[in-house]
Amino acid sequence: MGLLSDIYNTVAKFFRPQEEQGDASKSVATNRLKLVLMQDRTNLTPKILEQMRGELIDLLSRYVELDKELLELNFEQEGDQVALMLSIPVIRAKDEEEIEAALRAEAEKLEAKLENLSEETESDNNEEGSEDYSAEAGQEISETSENETTGMSTPDGMNSSKNQEESTEECHSEA
Amino acid sequence: MAGRVIVITSGKGGVGKTTTSANIGTALAKAGYKVVLIDTDLGLRNLDLLLGLENRIVYTIVDVIEERCKLKQALVKDKKNPNLSLLAAAQTRDKSAVNAEQLKEICDTLKDENDFVLIDCPAGIEQGFQNAVAGATEAIVVTTPEMSAIRDADRIIGLLEAKEEIKSYKLLLNRVRPSLIKSNDMMSVDDVVEILSCPLIGIIPEDTGIITSTNKGEPIVNDEDALAGKAYRNVAQRILGEEVPFLDLDEPKGFMAKIKNAFAKLKAKV
Repeated sequence: MGLLSDIYNTVAKFFRPQEEQGDASKSVATNRLKLVLMQDRTNLTPKILEQMRGELIDLLSRYVELDKELLELNFEQEGDQVALMLSIPVIRAKDEEEIEAALRAEAEKLEAKLENLSEETESDNNEEGSEDYSAEAGQEISETSENETTGMSTPDGMNSSKNQEESTEECHSEA
Repeated sequence: MAGRVIVITSGKGGVGKTTTSANIGTALAKAGYKVVLIDTDLGLRNLDLLLGLENRIVYTIVDVIEERCKLKQALVKDKKNPNLSLLAAAQTRDKSAVNAEQLKEICDTLKDENDFVLIDCPAGIEQGFQNAVAGATEAIVVTTPEMSAIRDADRIIGLLEAKEEIKSYKLLLNRVRPSLIKSNDMMSVDDVVEILSCPLIGIIPEDTGIITSTNKGEPIVNDEDALAGKAYRNVAQRILGEEVPFLDLDEPKGFMAKIKNAFAKLKAKV
């Protein structure tokens, strides 16, 4: 029986188109493994990776229009070295005016935020250490940049939706 | 005489640590070297079974540590090869019965009278692993071309790197299936070596002979015809510092394989 099925498989394979055989499970395994090993080795959790991806999108979106769904963030290993590979499908480059406008808008937002923040902290008790202050400021900055992404077009579920919701809520309260 | 102490480890269970220990040990002993195998898998000992020595064990490593016998008394000589002996694990105790210090002491004593001390490490990265590694200066990391085994091997390599006493570690890729690699359904040897970036010491093909040899309690290196046996003999030679090329596993074995091969080549042309 084994012999017969061997022959059958060989003959059947012969007539099957190449593509069907090409997407073998090996490359899937290799890619999954590489990613998971990188997370194991560096302690970069999927959550952090997703955050990193989101922030990179925000940053680059100021200058170019991206196809966010096709953006890929991967690790590649060559010998002992590990490289972070970012593949970005660019739809079009933004012209200078657009870039400036985007930057200005963001700078204004940031300034407003910072003013709000310093007022708040001044009115708050002064017992809070300076460390807390800077941490808070950092958070605010990242949130504003997220606001921008939501404004442009809501990225698909790939982005951590929790942060997104938070930032949109805040946007409303400010308005 | 100061022998070499090599730990055989893997992280994941069931990838062939014990089989590898038994076979490398037997091969080295056959080559004329004095070898002691230590089973450190307390509570789950199996090395005695693979060597066919299960009925000869009187004392175990725990008896030695708790001073119920001398170290020499606990060493069980192999049936065929007087160069090979086994220090068995205790089956009724767990990992906490032994600590790293004690195991290191045993290794240090044994290496004075032997060329090789091979330690069969338990699966996992806890106390059992720490104990097994304690006395060793070299390591062989056994893995298979499967994701889970490779991931665990990566963890083990990380832990070994952090240990100062371990001067070198090498990879042994077990249960390789050339036909699956050919059809792109199994990671190739190169893939695994690249991912783990660890020097290779052996490639062992999947071989049904391993099952029958385990059934009989006789390591497959004793079978001159078996491919896996040959691969393990090559590993032993590499441990001894000889340069042996890796086996070409693609060689068609039978008539049917040749026909399949011809078909594959024809297909490649079309």
